[in-house]
Amino acid sequence: MDAKAMIDSLSSQFTGVIYDAQVESDIRILAKVKPESVKDICQYLKEKLSFGHLCCEFGVDYPERNEIEVVYVIGSYEHPVVLTLKAILPRDDPEVESVVPVYWNANWYERETYELFGVKYLDHPDLRPLVLPQDMLGEWPLRKDYKGFPNKTARNLV
Amino acid sequence: MYDEVGPSEMIVHLGPQHPMLPGPFRLNAKLRGETVVDSEVEMGWIHKGIEKILENKTYLQGITIVDRICYLAALTNEEAYVGCVEKLAGIEVPERAQYIRVIMEELSRIQSHLLGMGEYASFVGFVSMFMYTIKEREDLMSVIDSVTGARITHSFLRFGGVKDDLPEGFKEDVKYVFGNLRKAIDNYEELFSTDSIYKARTVGIGTLTAEVAKDIGVSGPPLRATGVAFDIRKDEPYLVYKDLDFKVCTQTAGDVFARVQVRLDEMRESMYIVEQCLDQIPSGPIFPEGTAYGRRSPVMRIPAGEVFHRVEDPRGEMGFYMVSDGSDKPYRVKIRGPVYPTLQALPPLLKGVPVADIVAIAGSMDTCTSEVDR
Repeated sequence: MDAKAMIDSLSSQFTGVIYDAQVESDIRILAKVKPESVKDICQYLKEKLSFGHLCCEFGVDYPERNEIEVVYVIGSYEHPVVLTLKAILPRDDPEVESVVPVYWNANWYERETYELFGVKYLDHPDLRPLVLPQDMLGEWPLRKDYKGFPNKTARNLV
Repeated sequence: MYDEVGPSEMIVHLGPQHPMLPGPFRLNAKLRGETVVDSEVEMGWIHKGIEKILENKTYLQGITIVDRICYLAALTNEEAYVGCVEKLAGIEVPERAQYIRVIMEELSRIQSHLLGMGEYASFVGFVSMFMYTIKEREDLMSVIDSVTGARITHSFLRFGGVKDDLPEGFKEDVKYVFGNLRKAIDNYEELFSTDSIYKARTVGIGTLTAEVAKDIGVSGPPLRATGVAFDIRKDEPYLVYKDLDFKVCTQTAGDVFARVQVRLDEMRESMYIVEQCLDQIPSGPIFPEGTAYGRRSPVMRIPAGEVFHRVEDPRGEMGFYMVSDGSDKPYRVKIRGPVYPTLQALPPLLKGVPVADIVAIAGSMDTCTSEVDR
């Protein structure tokens, strides 16, 4: 199945949930997804379209649009197509369902996105900081309006 | 894990500084007698915030920063970063530059495997192996040094090309070093496969099956040791890999011994790739002509867009996701390192093994904490 057929199958299965889908090349698909159904779509991708390999999951902050995007980059061991899914969350209260039950290795990606962007993952088995100390929780250093960089975090580097 | 420590159980902290660990992370292991019942990994001792730093550097400055993600894989990190920018800006890399990149990246893969294997052997008590591998690695480092001008952090790749052409007599140097290295690798293999104590410590230890390995998302040698031929160089060829003849080295056992064997085979395969490249390399420019981007232009604006580019690191799949907003600095860079899922897989792998095997299993994964923390 090539990229075009995959996105067609996905959009027909989840009408209205997957939108703005575009095939960038033979092996890259970009699509937006409603945050409340991320887990169901991941389940479908893994079982039906053999997208069994979560490459990464991370956040991107857009303060002028007042949005945080959570991006899921999902690959496969069987075919070379990589699918990029974007869930758009409100910046004031970003909450999304965890995909750890589907992709086991999402655990650390979600912990890191939580401590760096403040994205709250519902039903995550162990949501606590991974790389930052506990007392930096709540500063969300990778958001664009973070004031502590570089003076607090990397004074000698920049 | 701390809440339910039974009367005959205790918690042992390994690290953050421990001779077994390739970098500072802490492994908290709950033991019952000699057996590990539960464990967890604590990170953050060398968190550098490279993703934040890259957002505040121009594209050209970023090349020096991505070197520091993991010094053993500096050239492949650069390849992933530079590849992202090339895709966004639509820069074509001349063929000669592509060949030079493949040669340098394969050489750096060999030196990474040599160090990883030597360190690992010393973790399981085979200390003299470290001395053997570090000797061969030193020759290889000199060869890399003669092209890039640096031993570990090279800053060698540029957007669209490479910094310098291959020096005179490079082919002969490589030939000489490879002659020694071939014999050395045969030697290591013989030492590993005939030593009964070494085999007792590695065969059947820390076994991963293909299903579990895929499920927990590992890539690189730990995955290929389970029989899954997953290699970005084959599945999604970048540079000139589709013109080169090489095979993906796999084993089926999935244990510690198989992982080391995969690395040994991969070094031979990398040498074969480098030799092909040296025979096939065309003459020509090493930097594209007629592009808007100069070789050293400190400020370059990249068209807005998003791209995910991945390459095969010595340790597995290395990917960069780059978001550009059209300015001279990247809007967001996500670094997807290969060791991140591998290190995460340590606690389930360690469940039920004796304490002495922790070192063998953790070492055979060839983890690089610097890359996980970034």
